[in-house]
Amino acid sequence: MADPVRLLIVDDNEDILSTFYEFFNSMGYAVKTAVDGFAALKLLREKTHDFDCLITDLVMPNISGVGLISIVKKEYPDLKIIAMTGYGDQPGALASEARADVVLFKPVDLFKIEEKIIALLDNGSPKKQE
Amino acid sequence: MTTTPLIGVSKSLLKIKELINHVANTCLNVLITGETGVGKEVVAQNLYEESPRTAHSFVKINCAALPETLLESELYGYEKGAFTGAHKKRPGKFQAAHKGVLFLDEIGDMPLSLQSKMLHVLQSGEFSPLGSDQDFKTDVWVIAATNHDLEQRIKQKQFREDLFYRLNIIKIDIPPLRERKEDIPALVEYYFRLYTSEYPNNQGSKPDPDTMERLCNYPWPGNVRQLQNCIKKQMVLNSWEKIFDEMPSEENHGIVSRTPPGPQSNPGLDNNVHPDFANDQTSLISQFVDLSTSSDKLFQDISLKKIKKKAADRVEKEVITFVLDKVGWNRSRAAKILKVSYKTLLYKMTEFELDPPSK
Repeated sequence: MADPVRLLIVDDNEDILSTFYEFFNSMGYAVKTAVDGFAALKLLREKTHDFDCLITDLVMPNISGVGLISIVKKEYPDLKIIAMTGYGDQPGALASEARADVVLFKPVDLFKIEEKIIALLDNGSPKKQE
Repeated sequence: MTTTPLIGVSKSLLKIKELINHVANTCLNVLITGETGVGKEVVAQNLYEESPRTAHSFVKINCAALPETLLESELYGYEKGAFTGAHKKRPGKFQAAHKGVLFLDEIGDMPLSLQSKMLHVLQSGEFSPLGSDQDFKTDVWVIAATNHDLEQRIKQKQFREDLFYRLNIIKIDIPPLRERKEDIPALVEYYFRLYTSEYPNNQGSKPDPDTMERLCNYPWPGNVRQLQNCIKKQMVLNSWEKIFDEMPSEENHGIVSRTPPGPQSNPGLDNNVHPDFANDQTSLISQFVDLSTSSDKLFQDISLKKIKKKAADRVEKEVITFVLDKVGWNRSRAAKILKVSYKTLLYKMTEFELDPPSK
């Protein structure tokens, strides 16, 4: 059986974060969460966990989603990125510029996100857990 | 440039240090927010110090201190003949900061027309000096700072939303000193040591535990800069009582209404003016013209217009210094109290060469 796909979900809204966690966890994903870009970056740089896909909100304190995407694309180029925004066009456009693989506008349908994850990981070649 | 370290032990300050440590090598646009005097420039300098750009310059520009056209030519430079008075080509701050850091202080006060141009430069990485049809590639790390609530200014249509999001890639919010009191003892210690080495002959006593408690419980409307100023004064006056007397009241905003502004009420000012106004006319005139010269020369020197300007400037300078001192060099508050725009206050401060106490 294939190893579960590993997700890192980042949002400063804890309700959204726990909803996402519950949903993807119940769908068989290995899920970690972070409350902002800085927490996510620390988790990534600790290197105790590997991830296949990053799902991130854009407007957040400290390191914004756009900042996180820019850093991740440079330091972890294999990691697929789905950006979500509820703040109009600007952050979304910046996320595309920072080369997010998918940009979705809130409110987002969780099943749709899952479709995007599958499509992204099918196209690419996600690393599998050893 | 000597970088002031970030002093403190509070959770918020340690988090800022950790954030700087994590993002300084990314050179992504940074927006630093916080009240006047919290140390926004210090954070910017620390970012620069930890970045891979230290071999190049850290260039600072205050977007509120210059009129629009001057700010534009300062930022982008100009070609010879670009406008009347442009006798020779002059490079701008973008050129000076190439491969280094451009610190845009008071970005919230940048005029809207210049915000569009700034946005264009940030998007394209190119700019052209005034009067030039050539585009220059620029590689600057932009760190911007403001004490305004930019989201509020966006709602008021005074700040461009697209520029805000482009700058706000990394956001560092520095809380006011009153929200991180645990940093105060370390800051007191730091500035004591700094001024002791700077002024070895002035030995003000350090605060005893009661005084330290008072310092920690004071709300510091002018934040770290005000605290720094107090320590500097203590080095000279060596009287905590005097220092506390001169501070805005601990109930905060009350002080200005209770103490009418005027040279008499501030012992720190040049107090030879006030009695002179009341008493000795000759000595008053002597402050503005040299009475010891011959009559011919004297009559040549006396011009009502010039004297009026000198006298007004002098009084204005004193009143501004007085108010700034009372509010811990919080310029926004001082402008409100003086009932002038923030910009006007900054012009006057530049004109009168009024600088906040140096670090």
